[in-house]
Amino acid sequence: MSKVKNADNIIRYTKIATIIFIALVVVADVCGFIITPYIVRVWAERYDDFALIFLSAVYYVGTAGAYVALFSLYKLLNNMSKDIVFDKSNTKLMKIIAICCVLMGIDCVIGTIAWFGTIYLGTILFFMVLIVLCLRAVFEKAIEMKDELDLTI
Amino acid sequence: MIVINLDVMMAKRKMSSGELAQRIGITQANLSILKNQKAKAVRLETLDAICRNLECQPGDILEYRED
Repeated sequence: MSKVKNADNIIRYTKIATIIFIALVVVADVCGFIITPYIVRVWAERYDDFALIFLSAVYYVGTAGAYVALFSLYKLLNNMSKDIVFDKSNTKLMKIIAICCVLMGIDCVIGTIAWFGTIYLGTILFFMVLIVLCLRAVFEKAIEMKDELDLTI
Repeated sequence: MIVINLDVMMAKRKMSSGELAQRIGITQANLSILKNQKAKAVRLETLDAICRNLECQPGDILEYRED
């Protein structure tokens, strides 16, 4: 176990937060038949069937992406708590998270056909992709340096 | 490229890799990395310990070869 107590705590709390988020996505999926009509009828103020079906599709595709991204994040945090930090498997997980975020962002942009509000979520997601990719680049540099250090006898 | 001729020197001094590793204070795995030319760098500290234990000069272990 690492001696950095602060980092251990951060990882633990992030893990709990991730589990809560996964639970929220499950709830969102279960209650989808209430939430999607609410968004379409009340927020978007559209009363046609096309908007409802379209937004439902966008909604469920989005939650599917969220599952994959959150599960990858959980695995990443699990690795970190096991002290496997600068490892190729972690950069792979970050790549999965980034791809999921891009797909969810595109999903949100498509969702604007039914309700314009999804563009805000899309913007946040695209920004998040940049953050994740930056982190991934940092990790890759660190892995390179670690390899060099490991081969210094 | 720089070649590490540790095998030759160890054979001359009749020292096994296990013994040398123990004397220098590195693991046998690291010593084999050194012997198999996979190492990217050698600490002066390690070189010092090797030379002291094999009673030789760095030039006896390290050799420059044209690629």
